[in-house]
Amino acid sequence: MPEVVLKNIPFLLHGLAVTVELALWTIVGGTLIGLAVGVVRFLKMPVLGPVSTIYIELVRGTPLLVMLFVTYFAFPALLHYRTTAFAAAVVGFILFIGAYLAEDVRAGLRSVHQGQVDAALALGLTRLQALRFIVVPQAVRRMIPTLFNQYVRLFKFTSVASVIGVTEFTGAALLVNAREFQPVPILLTVALTYLVLCYGLSLVGRVLYRRFAVTA
Amino acid sequence: MDYRLDWGPIWDNRGLIAEGFATTIALSAAALVLALAVGGLVGTAGAARPRALRSAAAVYVETMRNIPLLIHMYVWYMALAFLKLPAFACAVLGLSIYSAAYVAEIVRAGIGSVPAGQFHAALASGLTGFQTLRFVVYPQALRIVAPSLASLMSQLIKDSSLASVIAVADLTYQAGAIEGQTFRTFEVYITISLLYFVLVTVVSRLVMVWAGDAAPGLSDA
Repeated sequence: MPEVVLKNIPFLLHGLAVTVELALWTIVGGTLIGLAVGVVRFLKMPVLGPVSTIYIELVRGTPLLVMLFVTYFAFPALLHYRTTAFAAAVVGFILFIGAYLAEDVRAGLRSVHQGQVDAALALGLTRLQALRFIVVPQAVRRMIPTLFNQYVRLFKFTSVASVIGVTEFTGAALLVNAREFQPVPILLTVALTYLVLCYGLSLVGRVLYRRFAVTA
Repeated sequence: MDYRLDWGPIWDNRGLIAEGFATTIALSAAALVLALAVGGLVGTAGAARPRALRSAAAVYVETMRNIPLLIHMYVWYMALAFLKLPAFACAVLGLSIYSAAYVAEIVRAGIGSVPAGQFHAALASGLTGFQTLRFVVYPQALRIVAPSLASLMSQLIKDSSLASVIAVADLTYQAGAIEGQTFRTFEVYITISLLYFVLVTVVSRLVMVWAGDAAPGLSDA
């Protein structure tokens, strides 16, 4: 490993810890939003349904960076509150990834064949029971790998938080570079680290696909 | 103290916004053409029979898409600074090399979905390998992957906003400049969000229409 990287390892590792923390908070919050919005969209609820659709369409049409500017600069200005770069990044990422997760949740729920619901109702189960015992168990199996892939995507996206001043892994590396000015070894180390971590996580995703495959 | 919405300064700076919007379109278009070219080649290699070609394609895809786009941009702009490329070129290269990995996966899946009998029949009727791809495989594959291509293009347009970080004066960059002068934080970011939203929506609709024309039968599929 290049010397410039070795001597800054504690600082870079701290940055990596912030990246992980950022990702974990976002995964928890984003999954909750994704589940809630996905179910609302699946059930085609009045009022909440159309509101969810607008939320999803707006977020999916906006760049992530702009989303972070909105949660870091625009919302606090409009609504008069103070925020930290870290908190704004978490909120921005949650709103962002939540919209994508919601679509995956809805797709998972819809992937259960209507005939199974009809059969369950014919057997005398209530709608809620059909959802609880027939739809959800199968849908969750199908959702797990898809959701996991979104988490891997998110892990990669957390680098954008450096732009609003969060000292996560990318931000830490940029600070080191500003002090040492050796962009080649520093950026290559950063690229390789993300590559190994994201590729490793995507392999876990592949295992999940096999593990949770629903066979007819 | 209330934050009073004031859209006047945004309208006064419409020239800057228009310039940024044009740069975003130019950047996305250039990166898209390159990404389709590189991704088309890599994706075709990924669907080819020789193992070496498939492995090489897989290495490209896994390497490029598992490195964050922001790092791609910084590599071209900072690590390869000795090339003295203008920021715009760095952004085009970073964006297209990254997106090409996603294009390659779409192309590979598209080719894979065309039944093998189609290849055999085309080759048996005397078409060359290239002609088989050009006239038999790609048109059918395009029909199948059109929705994925449309969403890839939307993604690419949104991703182009990261070019602002390496000082390309795109829509996001101009928003920052206007915000710095006028302090109309909320108004300016809402304005550019809506502009991205409109651009992304229009482009993905156009792709679907174009794919429908290029490969008849899409609309009734």
